[in-house]
Amino acid sequence: MNRSSARSHGSAEREVPVRRSRYDWRATAMFIGPTIVALALVALLPTLWAMFSSLFDWHFHRPQARSFVLFDNYVRLFGDARFLNAMRVTAFYTVVSVVTTLVLGIGLALLTRAPFPGKNAVRALLTIPMIMTPVVSTLVWKTFFFEADLGLVNWVLGLAGIVGPAWTASSPSAIITILVVNIWFMTPFVYLVMDAALEGLPHEVIDAAKIDGAAYWQRVWFVILPMLRATIVFTVIFRITIDARMFEIIHVMTGGGPARDTEVLSLWIYNAALRNFHLGYGNAGGVVLMTLVAATCLVIMLVGLRDLYRRTGSS
Amino acid sequence: MSGRSTSRVTEALRLLAIAGAVFIAILPLVWVVLASFKTAADVSQMPPRLLFTPTLDNYRSVLDAGFASFFRNSVIITFAAVALSVVLGVPAAYGFSRLRVPALRALLLFVLSVRFVPYIVFAVPLFVIMVRLQLVGSHVGLIFVYILINLPLVVWMMKSFFDDVPTDIDDAAAVDGANRLQSFALVVLPSTAAGVACVTILSFIFTWNEYLLALVLSGRHAQTLPVVLTRFLGGMEDPVRWGLLSASSVVVLAPVVIVTLLVHRYVRAGFGGSTT
Repeated sequence: MNRSSARSHGSAEREVPVRRSRYDWRATAMFIGPTIVALALVALLPTLWAMFSSLFDWHFHRPQARSFVLFDNYVRLFGDARFLNAMRVTAFYTVVSVVTTLVLGIGLALLTRAPFPGKNAVRALLTIPMIMTPVVSTLVWKTFFFEADLGLVNWVLGLAGIVGPAWTASSPSAIITILVVNIWFMTPFVYLVMDAALEGLPHEVIDAAKIDGAAYWQRVWFVILPMLRATIVFTVIFRITIDARMFEIIHVMTGGGPARDTEVLSLWIYNAALRNFHLGYGNAGGVVLMTLVAATCLVIMLVGLRDLYRRTGSS
Repeated sequence: MSGRSTSRVTEALRLLAIAGAVFIAILPLVWVVLASFKTAADVSQMPPRLLFTPTLDNYRSVLDAGFASFFRNSVIITFAAVALSVVLGVPAAYGFSRLRVPALRALLLFVLSVRFVPYIVFAVPLFVIMVRLQLVGSHVGLIFVYILINLPLVVWMMKSFFDDVPTDIDDAAAVDGANRLQSFALVVLPSTAAGVACVTILSFIFTWNEYLLALVLSGRHAQTLPVVLTRFLGGMEDPVRWGLLSASSVVVLAPVVIVTLLVHRYVRAGFGGSTT
């Protein structure tokens, strides 16, 4: 949304009366300085410390015994079956839930496009999953819906003559419960973004396609979705960063079980660094996670937007 | 095009699908609110009882369990953290929008990049640092740490709001003799009041709901509601405690749900624009 404004700002078309210096040093220090200092303290410093500590064999309770091991922690990580499992689980969980929320969110936005009675109320109610405290929603899903004997899901399945599994305690149903809650939680986010984006599309283009005789699905596929492409790319990137850091749903729902089938990287790092107190090793995992997220997002951005900017640049 | 009856059928299907989506979206909330007023005997009935004699016993038990002090923790930490982020972030956004800032792109990118780092990567070092500073279990520690969540959001969203305000009004203020601070506080800021409301509400929701950082850093004395909820209800598999679980859940949810339903226009605008 404000991507375009950021770009136009970068090209600095605004006329500003030139004083002595190119930059407003004093005003910058006053307006922006505190934010940069604050973020340097709570974000940059910890990140650098995490990278630094990942080069050490460092146990929280034995700080004197720490030793510099260079990249040994990283070498160990890639031979650690539990870590590799966490990478697989994270990738699977992220891909499935990003794709599903994207499809459902865009679908919902298209469905609620044309006016209908109670539209505003519906939009308000659809935001509820994502503003509900995730810990609470997960507890509700776990206790009331996925509970094996008295839960709603198995009761409904029972009506159809199916005996449901002990959802959170067995595989592969445990990962399904987590996906369901995450998709329920995040679809409204995609919906809101897409709803706002659809509102901003030029109606003349869509109307023109309609007059030209394009059916609804053709208009969606060939006109609307291509115009939403930049929004979709940014939404995917955003969704990946949210899923890659997801912790609470899993921590509350399964604690990573059964048998680590739902242990994502966030949880692995939490266990390694803050349960077993291997700070260096856990942080090495953190650096890997951070790098993977950044690399994935960068690739998606480059691939997703490539000819888009070339095209707008040439026309 | 293809006949009135088909289009009427499609319309009916569309409304049905929307109704289905709304039903799934609000079911957990409705369920937990109803359950919180049920007795232990009613709450574990399947099929669910829609007609029952409501009881306030669960809420009484929540009060007896000392929930009030945790509620206080959450309120103090959330309000201070949101205030801090808005006070720091709004002027910064104005600066990014209006001033000739050295290394503008790099600084903006730095602020944005904080949103892309998984919280656990921050949580481990912050835990070690705060143990050393003896800030684990203090309100102050968490309040500062929540800058992580809110400040990038405030800066990026407010910047886009400031960008939408024409610079003519800054120039007019300058002609009238206002300095930077005056033109920010007296002229530009008032015209972005909706934006400030928007980022404040979003920050409030994210901070109130946050779990991981609170779990790691709140120690014993600064536990916020989400942390308490999971610790304090260890044995919630036992249906006897489902009423208690529901009532405490409703207490945690009430502030965010009420705020969202009251001002959902801002919440929608915020999330809609939050992909930056």
